[in-house]
Amino acid sequence: MAMIDRRDFVKLVGAGSVGAGAGFMLAETIKHPVEHLIPYPVPPEEFSQGIATWYNTVCSMCSAGCGISVRTLEGRAKKIEGNPSHPVNQGRLCALGQAGLQVLYNPDRLTAPMLRTGERGDGAFVQTTWEEGLAEAANRLSSLRASGQVDRVCFLAGGVRGHVGRLFERFMAELGSDRLLNCDFGHAQTLYTASELFFGERQLPYYDLENTRYVLSFGADFLGGWLSPVHHSLGFGRSRQGRSGVRGRFVQIEPRMSLSGAAADEWIPARPGTEGILALGIARHIVEEGGYAGADRAAWAESLAGYTTERVAEQTGIESATIVRLAEAFAGTRPSLAIGGGAVGNHTNGVDALVAVNALNYLAGNIGQTGGLVFNPVPAFGPTARAGQSGYRALLELAEDARQGRIEVLILNATNPVFAMPAAAAFEQALAEIPFIVSLSSFMDETTALADLILPSHTYLESWGDDTPEPGVGFTVAAIAQPVVAPLYNTRATADIILGLAQELGLGDALPWASAEEYIKASWREIYERAPPDAATRSFDEFWRSVLKAGIWGEETRREAAAFTVDASVIARVGVAAPEFSGSSDEYPFVLHPYSSHALHDGRAANLPWMQELPDPMTSVVYGSWVELNPATAEELELREGDLVEVQSAHGAVTVPVFVFPAIRPDVVAVPIGQGHSEYGRYAKNRGVNVLEILAPLVEPTTGSLASSATRVRLVRTGRTARIVKTGGASRQLGRGVVQTTGEGASAGPRATLKGIPITVEPA
Amino acid sequence: MQAKSSPISYADVNNDIVRSLVVTGPKYYITLAAAISLTLICYFFPWFYQLYYGIGAAGMNHPQVWGTYLASFIFWIGLSHSGTLLSCVLHLTNSAWRKAMYRSAEAMTLFSLMVAASMVAVHLGRPWFIHWSLPYPNQMEMWPNFRSPLLFDVMAITTYLTGSSIFIYMGSIPDFAAVRDRTTGWRHYMYRLLSLGWRGTDTEWHRLGWAYTFLAVLIIPLAVSVHSIVSWDFALSVVPALHLTIFAPYFVVGAIYSGTAGIVTVMFVLRKYMKFEKYITELHFDNLGKLLLALSLLWTYINMLEVFTGWYSGESAELEALEYKLFGKYGPLYWEMILFCAVTPLLCMFKRFRTSFVPMLILSIAINIGMYTERFLIVGTSLSRKYLPDAWNSLYVPSVVELSILAGSVALFCTLFLIFVKIFPSVSIYEVKETLPAPEKGSPQWQATQ
Amino acid sequence: MSFFDDFLAKWREYRKPGYYERFDYAWTMTIDLDRCTGCEACVTACQAENNIPILGEAELAKGREMQWMRIERYWEGEYPDVKLRFIPMLCQHCDAAPCETVCPVSATYHNQDGLNAQVYNRCIGTRSCAVYCPYDVRYFNYTDHQWDKPLDEQLNPDVTVREKGVMEKCTFCIQRIRQAKDSAKDDGRRRVRDGEVQPACVQSCPAEALVFGDRQDPESRVSSMMDNARAYRVLEELNTLPSVVYLKKVDGNAG
Ligand SMILES: Nc1nc2c(c(=O)[nH]1)N[C@H]1C(S)=C(S)[C@@H](COP(=O)(O)OP(=O)(O)OC[C@H]3O[C@@H](n4cnc5c(=O)[nH]c(N)nc54)[C@H](O)[C@@H]3O)O[C@H]1N2
Ligand SMILES: Nc1nc2c(c(=O)[nH]1)N[C@H]1C(S)=C(S)[C@@H](COP(=O)(O)OP(=O)(O)OC[C@H]3O[C@@H](n4cnc5c(=O)[nH]c(N)nc54)[C@H](O)[C@@H]3O)O[C@H]1N2
Ligand code: SF4
Ligand code: SF4
Ligand code: SF4
Ligand code: SF4
Ligand code: SF4
Repeated sequence: MAMIDRRDFVKLVGAGSVGAGAGFMLAETIKHPVEHLIPYPVPPEEFSQGIATWYNTVCSMCSAGCGISVRTLEGRAKKIEGNPSHPVNQGRLCALGQAGLQVLYNPDRLTAPMLRTGERGDGAFVQTTWEEGLAEAANRLSSLRASGQVDRVCFLAGGVRGHVGRLFERFMAELGSDRLLNCDFGHAQTLYTASELFFGERQLPYYDLENTRYVLSFGADFLGGWLSPVHHSLGFGRSRQGRSGVRGRFVQIEPRMSLSGAAADEWIPARPGTEGILALGIARHIVEEGGYAGADRAAWAESLAGYTTERVAEQTGIESATIVRLAEAFAGTRPSLAIGGGAVGNHTNGVDALVAVNALNYLAGNIGQTGGLVFNPVPAFGPTARAGQSGYRALLELAEDARQGRIEVLILNATNPVFAMPAAAAFEQALAEIPFIVSLSSFMDETTALADLILPSHTYLESWGDDTPEPGVGFTVAAIAQPVVAPLYNTRATADIILGLAQELGLGDALPWASAEEYIKASWREIYERAPPDAATRSFDEFWRSVLKAGIWGEETRREAAAFTVDASVIARVGVAAPEFSGSSDEYPFVLHPYSSHALHDGRAANLPWMQELPDPMTSVVYGSWVELNPATAEELELREGDLVEVQSAHGAVTVPVFVFPAIRPDVVAVPIGQGHSEYGRYAKNRGVNVLEILAPLVEPTTGSLASSATRVRLVRTGRTARIVKTGGASRQLGRGVVQTTGEGASAGPRATLKGIPITVEPA
Repeated sequence: MQAKSSPISYADVNNDIVRSLVVTGPKYYITLAAAISLTLICYFFPWFYQLYYGIGAAGMNHPQVWGTYLASFIFWIGLSHSGTLLSCVLHLTNSAWRKAMYRSAEAMTLFSLMVAASMVAVHLGRPWFIHWSLPYPNQMEMWPNFRSPLLFDVMAITTYLTGSSIFIYMGSIPDFAAVRDRTTGWRHYMYRLLSLGWRGTDTEWHRLGWAYTFLAVLIIPLAVSVHSIVSWDFALSVVPALHLTIFAPYFVVGAIYSGTAGIVTVMFVLRKYMKFEKYITELHFDNLGKLLLALSLLWTYINMLEVFTGWYSGESAELEALEYKLFGKYGPLYWEMILFCAVTPLLCMFKRFRTSFVPMLILSIAINIGMYTERFLIVGTSLSRKYLPDAWNSLYVPSVVELSILAGSVALFCTLFLIFVKIFPSVSIYEVKETLPAPEKGSPQWQATQ
Repeated sequence: MSFFDDFLAKWREYRKPGYYERFDYAWTMTIDLDRCTGCEACVTACQAENNIPILGEAELAKGREMQWMRIERYWEGEYPDVKLRFIPMLCQHCDAAPCETVCPVSATYHNQDGLNAQVYNRCIGTRSCAVYCPYDVRYFNYTDHQWDKPLDEQLNPDVTVREKGVMEKCTFCIQRIRQAKDSAKDDGRRRVRDGEVQPACVQSCPAEALVFGDRQDPESRVSSMMDNARAYRVLEELNTLPSVVYLKKVDGNAG
């Protein structure tokens, strides 16, 4: 008989185990706030004290969809790390993703359903039960159904992907309303449209940074917060130092240096909004000066004729020689990659500019190439809710309908438009006209504060769900999201709330699942059945357990690198107009560059203390807002760090301290997005300013998304000062060789090992 | 070398000094009460608050982790320096003018050392474990770290404190006996204990003289080493502007300098308020003035050296630290220090200045303000400018708690001194007598001494 | 041999070159500055793994930061030819650590793996180690820290929560090293495998700029990373012999 002592037993049971469905197992044993003197007289099966269990699920802190492994001990989540099997992040994780624990354990979570008692917005709520809460919401909906007015129900969802997003669609369809709006402030709508216009496919292609040798990035802070920063960072690191003898170079074009700009070999501050023109200037040089030999060369030459180097130089403020150099390096280095996004898409010419960037990739022959731009296969769950994102214009229409009394019920999920919309849109005032607002938020954010009924959702670490990452990774993957701890409070998974509502409304036949878990499981049965190898070799239960364990499922479905040509009509349409701005340059001398804060994202992370205390990577500022000025501008205006200025646009003003920032155009001022919450818990509330408030309501015409980089502002000194709290001190090395650099090519060849340095502290 | 015109006799000496111990006016009590209350309010209360809250009650930050508490520590150690040291040197060189002042000077040493030691406790993050810095046998076999300059410090200070205590006590035994013989009741009893049965026999005098000289010889190197070791707390680091070989002599000279100035202050106060005009005279101030002048020149020289070596190194870190000290946020304090410690003491070149009591008092206080500033700058500027510029983010500003404890430490010193003057004869009875002509046997004066 | 001779003999041995190399491991981290993007994932990873307190704005405004791993930033040049350089800065686990000599109670000492260990229980809070550390990577608990409930649920039970008056700093995630050694022992292996220990910061780094391992093992990844012309150590001239080795950033425009 094998001898197993207690230690071994404990290890056998728990060591390094990756668990499945903690919520399922632990739900009854560790409900908060019951505290057992001895927590586990009879512990759950895969559970032993002092030994961690890891659960794989999906990060929901941004839209990248990284896979995470959550370390749990005694039923508490202790640490989030990357899931090594997930192709997006390959075990790595960004700061924000790791701070997800503080969403789960946030002291300011909503803990139970609540009904408004006082006036709207004065914050008076009374707790209620789920039964009453759901009945209240169902009553409203059924009376509208009875009177044939279900189109007066609007569901504002925050871009939830996967089958939970699908559930929203089905629910609304069954209800009979087509007003399902997905709105996410940072959504790359223009990028989808630019893809659709140029490639004929509404998707985010895969940027193969890892294998490229030359990147031209137009405004895309791909290492900071853009699309899928962890995956991009992996690619970036490997392209730099992961291949022997080859070091990828990259050039960043943007008016204010971002994290990516800092990592770039060259940073080029073109005039804001002219990046697309620069792309076309480069494209014309490639076509004209012999770099391009495609059959459609003539069409391109004609289409790009206007973008002469001289004209482009004048418009963008970039020297002709630089344009020529970039063009030659881009076309001459194989493979190369042009990416565009961020502020470039947020101008009035945003889509055209991004089309121009696509054109560059086309002209340099990067489409479908390793180290270039690769198309994704159809996502595992089919076209997703994300691709159907509604933009700013749709929200304006919603607001207008609300004002006209055409909206009776508004359901809000994972979105905070009151915070994200410019004051000029008068969105908050429009909400006042809606008789009944239901929020499914886990937190008291600015929009939830205006709700009549709050049905608080679980956080993502307590919920079931699934996801297909966007942008994809070049082949089909899907990830499963499962609870890693039992729910902390009397909240419900969003999907359960919707299913519950459906029950109340008698839609149970169409939405028959008893729980979110059952729904997700049923949805994955379809995937199981679609994938023959699995169906042949193992049962669904085996498949399901293995998916829960791995957290990820994938198929080798890479697309063939087929020859790709663009239509002549597309070529003819290529062109970027000069950007439009709100406000004249005389009255408002500066272009305002609002950017997503590295730590706080679009403001959603402002309630996480780790993120509030994470020094901004570029400035080291914590806990506040600031406006960045070029040193020359600051000198001219006689402003110094900490001087409070009013940043005035034609649509409002915010008062922020000045931060003198060495890497921003003198005619641009930048303010990070994320602070300035009037609600949202103790860590976020009444801190800094929300620069989104003062944006001009200009839109990018093709997509109707907000042209958030198209506002001009002026600075008015207030004479007051404020302390900018930051962790960094002097910003120059003073020749001390702290960060040492070397020339390119010097990386070859080992040197005498560092171990050889003699110790000279030997005692006599 | 008592002034010739002096009419004082042995009896006067006895009476005056015993009077200072026995006759206590309301003024004394008021002063003592004030000192004790100030100690409680300014020193102990803020300290207790700090114990409860943590060192965060002070203004220190990252990486400026040391602040006024350590500056005060060095300051009080420094102040302790001239007392016993000067007394020893003057004893060995047979300078008679020492005799009227050495007792109070030695007391200064003792009390400043005590205050300094208490500053260490105030400085510590977890003073309740302060005993871990002592080498005592324990079942865990955990010893302190003998490589640490801080541990050298603990050793040096305890030795110095012990040595100085014995020195002052031994020198006071004949006086305790003299007081014993002139008091009654509990005082008599107390002084009987303190005087260890002293009868004044030749053998006793002989042994006392021998032991006293022996101790004096021992204490001089000890005193020099103490402040050298204090300087090593800083100099053994690799912090720019602290890692200097000049630091040991720099600290010793500074210590003697501030200690001598402290003696001037105390002598003035004693002379005025304890009515010792007859014993503490212009002569003392004249001599101390000369000493101050010499010390100030030496101190200035070392300061110039410090600046020069920093500048001459040509190293970014050293230059930056130097520049920050001279012209940074705390720059004005540096120049205040130069004014008080290098410029004004030059007035001591004039005999008229040296022999004027009030100007000398003002000078002595100014020097000690300057010397406190010096210590503050050593602690308070160097750490703000170490090697990695990114860490230079915050200006260290002492908090109210720190400033209060600084003021309170003066009150604590005064309290201790006030208690001392009522227990110890603050002017040595027998040694002052040695400077007087002996009374003729059988004369009334002789009678009075019996 | 008398006690004294014995003591002296040991003492002489103690700091001979290669002293630490006789032991099983010499944990080392390499940081490739050409990969590091300054994203600070490592900073949050360390906060989360090591129960580093949330200080609040007021404490930070006093300059009392607490980041065992921090990112330093240095600007070079002027607009528009301006560069920003990042450098992750953590305890360098110096083999000749100035912080160790000064601690009067040996609360910070060198362990046999070459780690600069910090015994919180023993620390009396003189803060001299922070003064002596040339890298300013030691952080002091100026007061007791609170975790607003239920944020305390996330605290890592493998790591102590430090009280006021105690110094703290990067431990190279010693709890993870211990765990790896423990499982190596259970598996009957004498040594931990290369890559088996991943400190939290290394584990998270999205650009794979950080590599951790045993430099005694010539086959380990750190050893191969160190064998690079770009390798250097910060403030090498002070001869603190750090166990953190940086790889120079390649300046794309310099050559
Ligand atoms: N890290 C670390 N681990 C250790 C040790 C160590 O030094 N360090 N020491 C080891 C040693 S020697 C020991 S003895 C063990 C101790 O290990 P445990 O026995 O686990 O010790 P405690 O945590 O002190 O107490 C256990 C529980 O008893 C509860 N309790 C208190 N009074 C009563 C009562 O009257 N009735 C009941 N039913 N419960 C009560 C307490 O609330 C607590 O939850 O730990 C061992 N583990
Ligand atoms: N406040 C408080 N006090 C408690 C308890 C509590 O929960 N709270 N628990 C109580 C209990 S249950 C216990 S068992 C006791 C434990 O109290 P102690 O027995 O004092 O336990 P330890 O602190 O673990 O100290 C054991 C010592 O043994 C040393 N040691 C380790 N290995 C060896 C070895 O191989 N040989 C030798 N010779 N020494 C070795 C260690 O270095 C350490 O110095 O504490 C009791 N006291
Ligand atoms: S990039 Fe987005 S999804 Fe990935 S870890 Fe960070 S926040 Fe989570
Ligand atoms: S996580 Fe990696 S890339 Fe990011 S700052 Fe840290 S070391 Fe640099
Ligand atoms: S980096 Fe500082 S704290 Fe770490 S071992 Fe070296 S001297 Fe000590
Ligand atoms: S603060 Fe603690 S670890 Fe540092 S020297 Fe003092 S006692 Fe030692
Ligand atoms: S090694 Fe561990 S303790 Fe050190 S900085 Fe990294 S995460 Fe923090």
